[in-house]
Amino acid sequence: MTSSVEALTSLLATARGNRPQSMANREAEDVLNITLAVLVELAVANDRIDRLERMVADLRGEPVEELRDLRYEGEIAQQRQEATDALLTRALRIMIDPRAQS
Amino acid sequence: MRVRDLQHAVLPRVTSEERSRQEAVVSLRRLLNTRVRPQNIDAYSAEGLPAFVEANGRQPQSPDEVQEAFLMSPRYRRWSAANRAAQEMIWVSVGEPTYRDLDRMTQAAADLIDAPQKLGSLTLDPDYDPSPEVADLDIHLQPGGYGMDRGEHDVVAGALYECGGNVFSFGQGIGRGDSKASVIIKLLESDYEGFVPGKMLDMGCSAGAASAAYAAHWPDAEVHAIDIGAGMLRYAHARAESLGVAVHFHQMDASALTFEDDSFDLVVTHNVLHEIGADKRRAMLREALRVVRPGGVVIHQDVDIRRPPSLIHQVERDWDTHFNGEAHWATYATADLIADMHAAGFPREAIVEHDLAAIHGANRWYAISGKKPG
Ligand SMILES: C[S@@+](CC[C@H](N)C(=O)[O-])C[C@H]1O[C@@H](n2cnc3c(N)ncnc32)[C@H](O)[C@@H]1O
Repeated sequence: MTSSVEALTSLLATARGNRPQSMANREAEDVLNITLAVLVELAVANDRIDRLERMVADLRGEPVEELRDLRYEGEIAQQRQEATDALLTRALRIMIDPRAQS
Repeated sequence: MRVRDLQHAVLPRVTSEERSRQEAVVSLRRLLNTRVRPQNIDAYSAEGLPAFVEANGRQPQSPDEVQEAFLMSPRYRRWSAANRAAQEMIWVSVGEPTYRDLDRMTQAAADLIDAPQKLGSLTLDPDYDPSPEVADLDIHLQPGGYGMDRGEHDVVAGALYECGGNVFSFGQGIGRGDSKASVIIKLLESDYEGFVPGKMLDMGCSAGAASAAYAAHWPDAEVHAIDIGAGMLRYAHARAESLGVAVHFHQMDASALTFEDDSFDLVVTHNVLHEIGADKRRAMLREALRVVRPGGVVIHQDVDIRRPPSLIHQVERDWDTHFNGEAHWATYATADLIADMHAAGFPREAIVEHDLAAIHGANRWYAISGKKPG
């Protein structure tokens, strides 16, 4: 059994030909590729969360909708809000980073 | 027999995470195909054409100029880039499980190929140089292409083709229950009533999905299938054995068959016309006629891209030529196949073109058939 990274590397080693550019700007196209790949990974992560939710709901003997409908108030809500703020700060850093484009 | 999503011993065993990844690529492609691509013609009229006229002071005249005008539309460029990215991701999503599970798959293939008792057979030709016009390209970006052979018991090309084909087709809106073999069986039932082949040939069989389906449908028929690459054929053979159907696979070029004249009742090709150049096509049509018996039937089926409503649509369809490694997409779309069938030796009245509904899903297929006189 080969590791996933080895598997991906073996696959890429066999790919031939060039990649004709569609967009006016190659860097923009590269970033689009990365973004779409990340989008796919997000879908994969969502599926994993969904599986866990269903298993936990099953263990608790309640419908999964009920578990998903759980809402936190107060301190926990505050912690989640801070985590989301931090995530957005990381993701959108380039918009707030003081360095100017040169 | 279903042809898609069948379980067998040489199929890579995907983890649930890998399955999620493949399904996400299917969804992405479905969105691009159903919601974004249909806007391309509009993007051309609204953005591409005015930009071209502004730059050149006249309308685009040729397919190349229409293509240039398409690429002047930012919306079209965004779709094109995303579609290319999604196509590459198909192969990543199926290539990772394939190479990860390869030792087990290779062993499973070896056990089936080397088994003392088999239903069908596998005949490889080490002296054959897989048709370079196809083997030298990564057609539809499949890494390594159709002809890849990594040595003894290698099955990668076949596994990639079967698994990638499923991800591609589901994202294309081709139904899970669709089968090109079933479409042809239905055509035979309606247009060639009572015709049941005793011996048939499936040319350009790839992983052998249709060949196996024919063998399952006509258990008394002797089914032969050919393709160019050993990696593809080993997989097809092991797959058929694992599914319990008898198919005889051969490594052979469709334009130079080693079968005797008049040896088959039925000769079919599925999606081969669009992969090959005009010379190869004409030779293949001649060979199909040569090896079918008098009164036998030849059917060449392929994608439904041959009747675009306008030059703009034709160029839009031709994206695959420029961005998807489909070197002969346009060669096929614009070929005079009736003339080619006639030149191959079929009388005009024996040649029929068909516009066929898929068995499942809204997709349509093109086919051209001929009955050998006598
Ligand atoms: C798009 S695939 C179609 C496979 C399969 N028939 C199906 O419908 O899923 C085209 C196949 O034709 C094969 N092919 C291309 N040129 C060929 C030739 N000259 N002789 C035999 N096979 C050929 C390719 O290797 C490839 O496997």
